[in-house]
Amino acid sequence: MNKKQLLKWNTIIHRDFGYFLSGLIIMYSISGIALNHIDDWNPDFIITKEKIELKRSYTKSEITEDLVKAFSQMVNEDEYKIYDFPTEDQLKIYYNKSTLHLNLNEATGLYEKLSRRHVFYETNLLHRNSIKGWKWASDVLGAMLIIICLTGLFILQGSRGLSGRGKWLLLAGFLPPLIAFAVHYAS
Amino acid sequence: MFIPCLLFLVTAFAGCSDVQTQKGKVQADKKIGLLLVNHGSHSKTWRQALLDLESSVKDSILRMGKIEGIKTAFMEYNEPSIATRLKEFDAENYSDIIIVPIFLTVSPHSFDDIPTIIGQKEDPQSKEMLKFEKIERYTPKARTHLAPLLDFTDILQKNVLRRAKALSRNPENEGLALIAYGDETYTKEWSALMDTLGNHVSNHVGIKDYSYGWCGHIVRYKLDSTTVAVENVLKRKEKAIVIPILVAHDENFQIRIIGGGIAKVKNHKQRVIYKPDAILPDANVESWVIKISDKIAGKINAKNSSN
Repeated sequence: MNKKQLLKWNTIIHRDFGYFLSGLIIMYSISGIALNHIDDWNPDFIITKEKIELKRSYTKSEITEDLVKAFSQMVNEDEYKIYDFPTEDQLKIYYNKSTLHLNLNEATGLYEKLSRRHVFYETNLLHRNSIKGWKWASDVLGAMLIIICLTGLFILQGSRGLSGRGKWLLLAGFLPPLIAFAVHYAS
Repeated sequence: MFIPCLLFLVTAFAGCSDVQTQKGKVQADKKIGLLLVNHGSHSKTWRQALLDLESSVKDSILRMGKIEGIKTAFMEYNEPSIATRLKEFDAENYSDIIIVPIFLTVSPHSFDDIPTIIGQKEDPQSKEMLKFEKIERYTPKARTHLAPLLDFTDILQKNVLRRAKALSRNPENEGLALIAYGDETYTKEWSALMDTLGNHVSNHVGIKDYSYGWCGHIVRYKLDSTTVAVENVLKRKEKAIVIPILVAHDENFQIRIIGGGIAKVKNHKQRVIYKPDAILPDANVESWVIKISDKIAGKINAKNSSN
């Protein structure tokens, strides 16, 4: 295979792998941004929280099924699954997709309803390898990404290629991580 | 013919009597297993400490005769998982499984996640998170019996006291910084546990000052809480003794987070006394596992007898 043919195949591989992975790269990028800010929000679930106040304090011994039903009605839940006591002064009631956590002593409660943050939830499933077997698919896709990068280096020839401005941009790309490492080890 | 038949009857009767009357022996239709459940960790050292706990209690528990098999399960990250172990118990025809969580105090893991994994509860948040974390749920055919957590007795107080004593040189000039994982939902209970531990050391060794900080998800695994806890102690005392209130040694926690947090303290080499150890190994924890599992096994047998 001569140089011309090699470059032709390089372009074909780069182009077709690129088309194939575009959707996934966008998904991983969205998920990456979402997971970067995991300290500031929950990228997977929307947890709706509602604080409630009871009319008075209760003790564990006072809790009956009727009382649990009455507490449930305060958060518009008709049927509870079970209830349990995390501590002597706390009661937790479980519903189909929500819970009510009461502090019996302080006469306060927190109703939490969980729902999936669609699009983010699904992309995060992939990014975190939470789907069985995806690890192997993602290894293959990772290898393909490396091939896209390497083939990309040789798409253009001449002054705009790797031998020209390309080499400087390639080196510049290493700067952000190098600065980050330097800051990390200096602090 | 008569003699062998007589011998057979005598032996059979003796065996039967053994099962029914001797206290602590296995009941005929009961097969009780013990599952030690811990959080799990990426650290091999951490996991080994939990496996060592199983090895340390195994012979004593089996000798007592009520429990026939002991296994350890990791809730997260590692195999054997809880589901894997429960399936094994089912395959070995166990009728009852005692689950002893090696967890310090109340948290969503102990209160919601483990019961949801074993089918005792269906907490919606836990269900979603378990799915996300690829943690399998399995409801065993055998009945499950959950034991209380480590803070049920005074073993944590004794543990911290022992470790503080070992590091202390001059109690009057020292303060204690306790660093635990912590929890967002049950901060009050975790704080109360830290107060109990701090006061216990204060009453018994004379290290009167204490402070505490968190190193877990509640502080997003950051070092600052450790630094603040140590600096709080050093405002009032010449030296700070730092004790990790963690089940076992995990390099990420004892070295990176707590060690890193200490390294940010000014003059830490002169003013901070720190040993990156953990609650395990501890003979009292081993005794607790033996006692609580024997007690629950006794109750299971008693219930069976009364039925």
